[in-house]
This record gives sequence, C-alpha cells and structure tokens, in this order.
Amino acid sequence: MKKKGIVLPLVVWCVMTLITLLPIWWLFVVSMRTRVQLFGRPSLLLDGFYWGNYVEVLENEEFRFYLWNSIIVATSNCLIVTVLAFLATFALSRYKLAGEDSLFFWLITNRMAPAAVFLLPLFLLYTQVFRLGDFQLFDTRIGLILLYCVFNLPFAIWLLKGIMDGIPKELDEAAMIDGASTFQVLTRVVMPLAKPGLAVTAILTWMFAWNEYLFAATLTSVEARTITTGLAEFVTVTGTNWGELAALSMLTLAPALIFLGFVQRHIVAGLTFGAVKE
Amino acid sequence: MNRRGLLSAAALAVLMSTTSFNAFADDAFWAKAAEPYKGITIRGVSESTPSSNYAKDVLAKEFSEKTGINIQFETTSWDQMYDKAIKDMEAGSGIYDFVYIEQDIIYSYLSRDFLVNITQSLKDNPSIASPTFKPEEFTTFANYFKGENGDLYGMPMEAFIKTYLYRTDLFEDAAVKEQFKAKYGWDLAPAKDHKQYREIAEFFTQYGQDNDLELWGTTVQASSGHPASFYEFVESIAPTFGVYNWGLNTETWAATVENGGTMNSDKAKEALNWWIGNLQYAPPESTSSTWDEVAASFSAGRAAQAFVYGENTAWIATDDTKSTVVGKVGVALPPVAPGVMEEIEAGKGYIGYYDGGAFGVPHSSKNKEAALLFLQYIGQDSVQVDWAVNAARVTHQTTYDDPRVQEQDQKTNGYYTLMRDQGKLFAGAPAFPFHGQLREAIAPFFYDAITGSITPDEALDRAAARAEEELTRLGYRKN
Amino acid sequence: MRSPVTGWLFLAPTILVLTVFGFVPFIYVAFVGFFDWNPFAANPDLVFAGVNNYRRLVFDNQFLRSIGLTLQFTFWVVLSQLIIGYLLAQLFMRDFPLKGLFRTIHTLPLLVAPIAVGAAWRLLCVPGLGPLPYYLNRWFGIDFRLGSFEHQAFITTVVMDIWHWTPLVTLTLLAGLSAMPKEPFESAQVDGANRWQIFWHIMLPLLKPVLITTTFIRLMDALRTVDEVWMLTGGGPGTATRYIGLHIWRVVFPQTDYGYGAAMSLMTLYLTIMLCWFLYVGLVARKPRAS
Repeated sequence: MKKKGIVLPLVVWCVMTLITLLPIWWLFVVSMRTRVQLFGRPSLLLDGFYWGNYVEVLENEEFRFYLWNSIIVATSNCLIVTVLAFLATFALSRYKLAGEDSLFFWLITNRMAPAAVFLLPLFLLYTQVFRLGDFQLFDTRIGLILLYCVFNLPFAIWLLKGIMDGIPKELDEAAMIDGASTFQVLTRVVMPLAKPGLAVTAILTWMFAWNEYLFAATLTSVEARTITTGLAEFVTVTGTNWGELAALSMLTLAPALIFLGFVQRHIVAGLTFGAVKE
Repeated sequence: MNRRGLLSAAALAVLMSTTSFNAFADDAFWAKAAEPYKGITIRGVSESTPSSNYAKDVLAKEFSEKTGINIQFETTSWDQMYDKAIKDMEAGSGIYDFVYIEQDIIYSYLSRDFLVNITQSLKDNPSIASPTFKPEEFTTFANYFKGENGDLYGMPMEAFIKTYLYRTDLFEDAAVKEQFKAKYGWDLAPAKDHKQYREIAEFFTQYGQDNDLELWGTTVQASSGHPASFYEFVESIAPTFGVYNWGLNTETWAATVENGGTMNSDKAKEALNWWIGNLQYAPPESTSSTWDEVAASFSAGRAAQAFVYGENTAWIATDDTKSTVVGKVGVALPPVAPGVMEEIEAGKGYIGYYDGGAFGVPHSSKNKEAALLFLQYIGQDSVQVDWAVNAARVTHQTTYDDPRVQEQDQKTNGYYTLMRDQGKLFAGAPAFPFHGQLREAIAPFFYDAITGSITPDEALDRAAARAEEELTRLGYRKN
Repeated sequence: MRSPVTGWLFLAPTILVLTVFGFVPFIYVAFVGFFDWNPFAANPDLVFAGVNNYRRLVFDNQFLRSIGLTLQFTFWVVLSQLIIGYLLAQLFMRDFPLKGLFRTIHTLPLLVAPIAVGAAWRLLCVPGLGPLPYYLNRWFGIDFRLGSFEHQAFITTVVMDIWHWTPLVTLTLLAGLSAMPKEPFESAQVDGANRWQIFWHIMLPLLKPVLITTTFIRLMDALRTVDEVWMLTGGGPGTATRYIGLHIWRVVFPQTDYGYGAAMSLMTLYLTIMLCWFLYVGLVARKPRAS
C-alpha cells in the first residue's frame, strides 16, 4: 500500500483543501466588503481590502468587553483544568485507590452527556439555588469557568492519563528513595516529563472553552457574555449586517488559526492520542 | 443596520434645537434632581430598532450631560433582548435598571410583578418628579402600559402601525397602469381587498420577469423558523379577514370552532391560504425574512408592495444611504375583507397591529431613582419631534402638529397622518399573560404551513387543538 | 509508603467540581421532572405531577420528531465521516509533496468554534448574497432556498457537519493505520489474498478498536449538535432541523415549560445512554458473557 504514485493523493488533497477553506475564505471575503458590494452576483474573489467592518466591531464597547470575557474565561478555565487534571491523573496512575476504575469511568462520562440536557437544571441552579446573599453564579465569569470544567476536565484526564501511565514509575520511586517529598516528585520529576502533554491539554481546553456557545448563551446575560454569544446576537434579527457578522466570526476563529500555525503537530497528536488510547 | 451616520447628524440637530429658551430652567431641574445620583451608571437593554438607537445615541447622551448619570445602553436583536431582560428579572439579579417592554409582553410582565409602578414611585419621591414630564400628553397608546389601577408601568417610547407600503413610481407609471387595466379590468391603485392585492402581486411579478428586473409583486414576512412569520399572520393578516385575538375566545380561551374560538374558522383558513399563496409572488428570501429583512427587501426595490412595520417607514422613504426607493413610497391601509370595516367601527375588531414599546424599571433594579429620571427625560414633550422625524414613532398627541413632522409626513406620503387619523383602526396585542408560551406552542404549525409540509387548513386545525391543550395545561382555559 | 489519603487529596478538587456541576444538576433535573412548573402559568409554582410529564412525552409528536431527526442526522453524519475519513486517512499513508501542509489545513475545521462554522455556512447560503444558491442555480438549475425546502436544509446541516468533523475521523484513523503492524498484510499478500479479503479479514479487525472509539466520539457529539444548526437554520424550515438539543432549548427557554423540559432532558439523556449501550453491546461485547 505504499508509494503507489502521487497524482491521486495530490489531486484529492488539493480538492479537499479548497473545500475546507471555502467557508472560511468566504467569511473573510464578506468581512472585507461594504454593504453595497455584498449583493448582486456573488464573486468569490477578494475585491480589495476594506477594514470598516472590523473597525465597527472593535469600536463597539460591548464586543470588546465580550472579547475580554472570553479571554479571561478560557484562560482561567484552561489553567484550572490543567492543574486539576494533572493532580488527578497523578493520583489515578500512582496510587492504589479503591474503586478507581469506576471513578475514572464516571469522570469520563461527564463529557459524553448531551449539553442541552443540563441547560435547564444549571440555569435554575445558577439563578435560584447556588447563591450566597446577593451573590449568584448566574452571569458571572467564575460560574462559566467552573462549569466548563465539567466537560474539559474529563477530556484532560483522558488525555493525561495515558501520558502519566507512560512515565516510568521507577523514576519517581527513585526520587522518593533519595528523600524527595511527593510535591517535589510532582514538580521536579513528573512535570518536566509530562510537559508536552500538559501543553497540548492546555491548548485544547483553552480552545474548547473559547468556542463554547450554548452554556455561555444560557448562563450569562450581560456581565459574562463571551464572544461566541456576541456572534449570535448579530444573526437572529439584524439579519442584514453580514459584513460585521463575518468580521466578528473571523475574530472568533483567529486563535484557531494562530494555534494551528504554531503547534499544529502537537494538536494533532493531542486530538488523536485521546482517541487512539484504548 | 447601520443607522449611525444618520443618527449623529440628527444628534447635532437635536442638540441645537433643544438649547432653546426654556431649556435653562429645565436643565436646572435635571441637575438638581440628579445630584444624589451623580456619577452612577444605569443600565438598559432594548431591541436594536431605529427608535431605540435614537434613544441610545442621542437622548441618553444628552441626559448624561445634563445629569452626570451615565447610561450604558445595550441595543441588541429582538430575541436576545427578551432573553436578557426576562432572565435578569426572573433571576432578580438587578443588572438592568430599565428594560424595553414590547406592548405585547406587558401583560406577562405585570402578571409576574416584574415592574415598578412609575406613577406611584414619582408620587412617593417628589424630588425626582420632573415638571416637564406630563403623562397626560401621551396618546392613548400609553393606556396599554397602565395597570388595572390606571398607573403607568412603562414609559411609552415608540408607537407605530404596521401599514401597507407600495411603490408609487410603479403604481403611477402610465404605461404600467394601462397594461394592468388591460389585464385585470380595473384601475391600478393600492389594493382595497385581498383579491386586488393578489392581482397586483401577480402582475408585478410577471412585470419583473418580462423586464428582467429583480422585482416581485409583494414580499412576505414568512421566516419559516422564526416567530416573525407567526406574528405577521396573527397580527396583520388574520384581522383583515375578521379573525381577532389570534383566534382565541377571550372569555373562555377556546381556540377551536367547536368550543367557540375562531383560530381554525373558515375565515382564518381563508386568511392563511391567501397569505401563504402570496409567497409564489414574493422574492426567494421571503421564507427566511423576519421584520428587518422585509424592510430590507422593500428598500432594495425588490417588492412592489408589502406590509412593513412603521418604524422603518421613515428611513425607507427618506434615507438614500440605505434605501433605493427614496421618494417612491406610498402608504395605505391594509386591504380588508368585506364586513371587517363595519366590525371595526362597531368596536369589535381591528385592522392591524398598533405596535410599540415602553421602557420600564424592574423591581430588581438597584438604581430605580436614576432610571426613573431617565424615563421621564425621554417622556417629555420637548424631545419628541426629532425622535418622530427619525424613527417614525409618535407617542405624544402634539407631535403630529409640529411643522417638521408634517414635512416628514409629506415625504412619506402621509404616514404620520395615517397614523393620527386611522390609528384608531389598529390595536395592540391582546392581553395575554401566556403570550410567549402559546406562541412557542403553536408557531411550528405555521412554519410547517409555510414550507408546505402541511396544508394551511391542517395547520390551523392542529394549532387550534394544540392551543387549547396548552392553555388547559397552563391553567387558563375555562370550559 | 504511598498513602491513599494523598491520592484522594489530589483527586478531591476534581471530584468536587464534577459533583457540584455535573452530578447535582442531574439530580435536580430528575427532581424538577416530577413537577408541573411554568412561571408564566396561572399558577407559577411547582405542582407535583407524578409521572405526567413522562406520559406526555410519549405522545408528543414534536419531541418524537426531534428525536427521529436527530437519529437520522447522526446516522448520515457518522456514516459519511467514517467512509470519507477512512479514504482520506489511506491517502495520507502514501508519500506525496506538501503532505504536512495539507494535514494542517485539514485540521483547521476542528478548531473553529461551532457557532462560527454555522455563521460561515449561513453566509454561504443566504439568498441574494451567498455563492451556493447562486452557483447551484446557475450550473445545475437548483432552486436552493434553506427557508423553503426541508430536505435542502437537512442535507446542508449534514454537509456542514461532515465539513466540520471529518478531519477528526481522518486523524484518528490515520494514527490507527500508522500504528498497525505490517506483517499480517505481507503474509496475506504472499498467500494470494485479494484486496477485498485483506481489507475485510485483516484491516478491519486490526482497525476495530480505533474505529469503535472514533465512532463513539462522533456519535456522542453528533447527538448533541446544537450551535452550528442553531446558527444556520434556527431549527427551520418548519421543524425540519430542530434536533433534540434545539428542541429542548425552545421548550425550556422561550416556552419556560420547566417541568416538562426537565422530563424531556432526562429522557434524552436516558435515550442517549441506551443507544450507546446497545451499540456497545452490538459492536464490542458480542462475545458470550461469562455470568
């Protein structure tokens, strides 16, 4: 099955690349057009650079605020998840714990549940139950950050478990014999070895949190709205403002482009590793 | 839509006009009354409509300058506006100090006791009651925002009617008229009944094809996945066939004919068949069109006639940066079925939707006094005229008499006169506390009728049965 | 020497977070499902309703239709992605120029926010603006209108999802193929097996673990699709793309039917678990059970 000629794969992949890029290219083209240029015969070619839509979006205080919220929520969530998953997988792979298989299974299933199922209970809990005096989790960044752990933690644990298991136990046992504390084993021995895995985990959880829409739309209203919900605000009724919608979409997917440019190899490794692990 | 350019020009005009003689006395009041609240920020949310955007870009800024109270004013899509406002009030989180209340949802809000009694609050706090705010100056539209005790719960900020717009350039073209007469045997003029409307639609669609124009006979607000289509039918189409209040019997909340409702009556079926039939003469975007897209299609010259929410009339008819039909827009009353006019005159029905909204202060607000000051500010007579000229909304009786409004009236071929003189033929939404719940339950049948997966008759039969089921479940239905 | 206490201590924050935000909502939704609760009803309070909400579900055409649509959607999406993904992964096993670049581009859709995917596809499909209706009409004479034709909308959501998630399948299968031993293939070739036999008797069994994992991941995600479709069609036209997630959202928020929405949520969770369990038993655990 090897080296059977390069024409077929090349042709197929050129076509695939065009298909893959078409929707994103079109977003870009629309974001580069004025309202007048949009209607009529749709041309797939760029007819010049027009930054008005981006300026409009970025000058809008609300969208800047949404952007800021997204950055805070995604970054905090990624830090919390990576640290907690690191500790949890260390415990799962190094300690003999009663019922640890079932525990692992339960942790993982949290990711599988349909998100829509949890919309109602979380909305009610956030607005009516989880509150302390005047403080409630509804419409707070911390509310979103904690919630995103529910689907990001299982993913991170799944990913890191394999990596942890792959680090030879003998190394930390040797360190222990040398008198290192558990904490020192964690930071000096295990962490450096798990670094690539941790980086992939961090990047992917950051992306998932950044991309999330359904919960952000439901559990926030003003203070903690994120960029993805801002996108939805455009579409529903102000249906005519396609240029700005496209510009905001481009801003939303900008981190994806950046990450992909820098660490593509690791992302692929991360995404596939989790799946290939049995 | 980008209304910013127009608005900033308007802002300048307003700033100049309001600095007139008695302005100084007023300014003193605002500064003094706002003294204790200086520096705080109040927050509001509204739908992104011409009227709200004017309030945001012009009135809120003026108010901040005079009082030192900052206003963070969000204007967003209709769906999001509801989502945010209702969630805030339900959770009691106190994010918003004033919210937009569309006329049709006020009963739900009152039944949940979401809103502050404005009349009472001003009585209790005389220091914030402005001498230039006089509730008696409002048109009768304000009555929709009064509770059973006659107190005001919402400050009317926009009111308009959904009218029948047509292209005067096409309707008055001699060659077109001749052609039309030859084909249908009557003189081309805005339709008086549904058959005429249909013939006009058919004619111009054909005319568009023959002349290779992007022109259709009508456009329809028939988004097959958005409640806008449901609203067009129950508010603007069904009444002209003599089916009122969504076809519900307001005594027993029955919907089916057998229980005394009219939702699936022959008249209602005729209405839905007619409306859906219009789609064949409408541009392809119609089945995805909400209120905004209908206005956009008409302003792009793609339809010869349409039912368009009045708030858009001003920009469609006068703003050449966004509209290609400036100076070519005529307004008229919607066509009606025989007998409907008599019913309306007897006080039994209405011809279309008198839409509008108000700003109210939620109980959960933490800055009620400052919000009430702002509400009074926009409720003053002196700010009304420019607002009316820009956004085609009128809430004060005297606004009609202002020369600038009359000038705008000319440009829109009499939209304002129509609203003043014929406004009584229109009505706001019926007093349903279950408005949104019922809409969600039955709107899908209308969507299915639009796509043709069920017939209009079937859609109404099922919708009526479902409506009764839902109202029984909600505990409103009486036998 | 390694005390389990330390282990549990490391696990504690994770367990705590997942309990409060994953398990408590589950209990709460089960609780609310036994009540009639609509804050806009004549009586806005919780009224105990027993299993009425569940009884109502069984006869609710809208709900059943949503479930049916979701299953159809999931079926077509997962099947197409497995086939396309497998073929593409096979192509990646060959050597050809610019392979790395192609792979990078192919990965891109995975990282794009679903809501932005919906926005991009919506822009492609708007009549009068998007290239899809224009060229489909010009080249094939197809009247492409998402607002009017149910099957077009359904197919477009499927195609959009294929665009979005096939790369995941390609990449996981590629990893599976790369890790495969070469010897069985070589000896089969020596024995004179044809390509189909090699595929069926050697490739598939070897690839099975990866295939199954991939299928499950895609299955779960396809069943819970909301964002993209919400953005592209809003569930329309009619209710042709109102998949279960969107349907629950509409019942719970605009309609504020909390009690019924809770029952619906729980039922959906149950159905999802059952579906996966059946598939699991069918695909993985077909061996006779010991007990």
